[in-house]
Amino acid sequence: MAKTILIVDDSASVRQVVSIALKGAGYEVITGNDGKDALTKLNGQRIHLIISDVNMPNMDGITFVAEAKKLPAYKFTPIIMLTTESQEDKKRQAQAAGAKAWVTKPFQPEQMLSAVAKLVQP
Amino acid sequence: MALDDDMREALDMFITEARDLVQGLEEGLLELEDQPGGGETVNAVFRAAHTLKGSSGLFGLQHLVEFTHVVETVLGSVRDGVLDVTPGLVSALLPCTDHISAMIEGLAGGRLEPDAAQAADGARLLAGLEPYLADGSAMTAGPVVAAPDAPPPEMAWRLVLHFGEDCLRNGMDPLSFLRYLSTLGTVTGVVTVTDRLPEAADMDPESCYLSFEVDLVTAAPKTEIEAVFDFVREDSDIRITPAESQFDTYVRAIRAMPENDRIGDVLITSGAVTELEMAEALRIQQERVVREGNQPVPIGEILIEQGIVPRAIVDAALTRQRRTTETRSQDTRTIRIDAARLDKLIDLVGELVIAQSSTGIPNSAGPDTSSEAQGEVMRLVDEVRHSALSLRMVPIGTTLRRFERVVRDVCMELGKEVSLVITGGDAEMDKALVERISDPLLHLVRNSLDHGIEPAGERRKHGKAQQGTLRLNAYHDAGNIVIEVADDGRGLDRERILAKAIERELVAPGTTLTDSEVYNLIFEPGFSTAETVSNLSGRGVGMDVVKRNVTALRGSIEVETARGIGTTIRIRLPLTLAIIDGFLVGVGPSSFIVPLDRVTECVELPPGPLGRDCMNLRGEVLPFIRLRQIFGVPGQPARRQNVVIVEQSGQRTGLVVDSLLGELQTVIKPLGILFSRVKCISGSTILGNGEIALILDVGPLIAGHSDREQTRQAVPVG
Repeated sequence: MAKTILIVDDSASVRQVVSIALKGAGYEVITGNDGKDALTKLNGQRIHLIISDVNMPNMDGITFVAEAKKLPAYKFTPIIMLTTESQEDKKRQAQAAGAKAWVTKPFQPEQMLSAVAKLVQP
Repeated sequence: MALDDDMREALDMFITEARDLVQGLEEGLLELEDQPGGGETVNAVFRAAHTLKGSSGLFGLQHLVEFTHVVETVLGSVRDGVLDVTPGLVSALLPCTDHISAMIEGLAGGRLEPDAAQAADGARLLAGLEPYLADGSAMTAGPVVAAPDAPPPEMAWRLVLHFGEDCLRNGMDPLSFLRYLSTLGTVTGVVTVTDRLPEAADMDPESCYLSFEVDLVTAAPKTEIEAVFDFVREDSDIRITPAESQFDTYVRAIRAMPENDRIGDVLITSGAVTELEMAEALRIQQERVVREGNQPVPIGEILIEQGIVPRAIVDAALTRQRRTTETRSQDTRTIRIDAARLDKLIDLVGELVIAQSSTGIPNSAGPDTSSEAQGEVMRLVDEVRHSALSLRMVPIGTTLRRFERVVRDVCMELGKEVSLVITGGDAEMDKALVERISDPLLHLVRNSLDHGIEPAGERRKHGKAQQGTLRLNAYHDAGNIVIEVADDGRGLDRERILAKAIERELVAPGTTLTDSEVYNLIFEPGFSTAETVSNLSGRGVGMDVVKRNVTALRGSIEVETARGIGTTIRIRLPLTLAIIDGFLVGVGPSSFIVPLDRVTECVELPPGPLGRDCMNLRGEVLPFIRLRQIFGVPGQPARRQNVVIVEQSGQRTGLVVDSLLGELQTVIKPLGILFSRVKCISGSTILGNGEIALILDVGPLIAGHSDREQTRQAVPVG
């Protein structure tokens, strides 16, 4: 069965492009508009990988990751944070919260695919 | 970029979204201008720029990425409190949002690239943001896509992977990395190493205790293999070495490499070591030096010890390095000269000059038959000195051309139009001088732009060309180099300078001063006529510092100005610091040299009571310093003593000496480290008769003396 990936980003176009790329590679994709929205998507699903932006309205990515990591079902789930080169401190915060993988924005869809493939194969 | 339907749909989505974001950006900026404190607004504005950049990258819209990256960086500084929201900042950013909006509309119209006019627009706007960027480092963004060369040959690698215990808890599955490796090439063998497994009772089921040894054959470079483990590097131990069968390939590759004298570069370029590994090895090397205080262990040894590369490859790199050093020493067209050696050469040549001058003294015993030969020696020595000095000479043009950028940036900041004209860039001067004159020049240039050249509106009103001109000119003049900073601005305001000087108590009210005396007041410490201290000139470096720096280089500075026409500041410097014109004086058995440019005149010391330290010079009181007393020269003073009158910062002081021995060119030899704390002596030189003369440092000598005088007068006599 295909592996499921949750994409959390407040930009619809980012969600769309990443979804297209991941679906093309054979993954299932679900999306969340921000941290708060994404938390509601975690229940009742089997999610193999989470990709989350840092800067989002309602609930930012770091809080979301920390919350998700508290759930027993997501204790071992790999999380990719979308960081920027100008935000080294955010990257460290995200890692402390439990997101040990990252992709630096701006990225090309291929870069995202290779990061995902290291952690979860479709 | 070819767009299929899905992507086209996503791009449409992006355009809609981007329009909202730009609008949000614009509204946020306007809101910020009204209420600069709004933390949430700052965040929202930053997020909008950030999202724009991120999404543009996804579609490969490099022009949008680059532009929004700079905007984002500026907003980031605002968010972090580094930068305040000023009307200037907002008015620099608002046109940027218009520009982003224009680019997005271009996208909507099907243009994935900006047209030329748009690109030029963008460049201009970014230049406007430059003052707000911390260090200009943010000017580039986005992924650099390197075009691959011909496919590299496949190589065999041995990977030793010790995964950290927290690996699984961090969401990192070791097996998934192993599976990913097979996308890079062929995994020819995997051995699971279980020696870290604890007793079953001690085992934590959530921890990872496994290590793997993987044999991989791939055409991917080592950095790419290394990148596979980016996410686990922090708490795991990953070793990637070429398989033994591959050593020869590396050794061959290293031998075929272009010249390089750094072993680290050789190893990294050959691909045997990655930059990350080299950084780690350097860190270990540094740590050991600190811990053990020994000489650093060669980096090659550390790389071998850490198991990063085998000895065979390091040896090959070392040989390559040695070969490079050898070939380089044969290359004679361009040389790099160690400054200390050059100084030594100049010292030696200086001594030669002295030796030669002693033979030039007419010999009283017998007729001078060798005068022709001596003349020749003199000529040759002179030539040698010139050519030796010329080694240190560099054209000043490079330094002057650096100001083009400064002028451009400052004009942008001030909203003035100024063109910079550089002439005489070929004039050469001592390298040491060039380096030390660059800061004072920078200040003069900024000053001219800020205070000298008027804004375009004011220039038009006075019937001048709208664009101001700043001229930097350099030329040689009688053994000196002259550098002029000339503007066609408003000129110095005599009345304002005088009023300010009186206000600052630099001049007593009612004093009559010549024009040049008034203009020279701008070089006085604590003088500044600018009504508002601007960002540019108010940086704490005043004209007095400029003058001090120039004087320290034994140079002089003068102003020439005409109201409404412009100001020229002229710096005159000696061509080199190594040789000065000196005035030789004798005190008892000792000789001293006074820099000639400090000497104004010499008079005989009038007879008077011994204890007195001042004399009458044409009706003025002239304080003097007895060198005999200050340097503790033994013996009785000569019957008729002389006074050398020196001037420092407008203050005249006499130096009482026994005899006046005349002018001479002297080569300055620095004092040894033992005398580094001696104040009044700047160096020494060897005289024609082999004796040593000390060169007086007039500034501290006079300053020290007047300090002592004040202390003495403060103590009541009794």
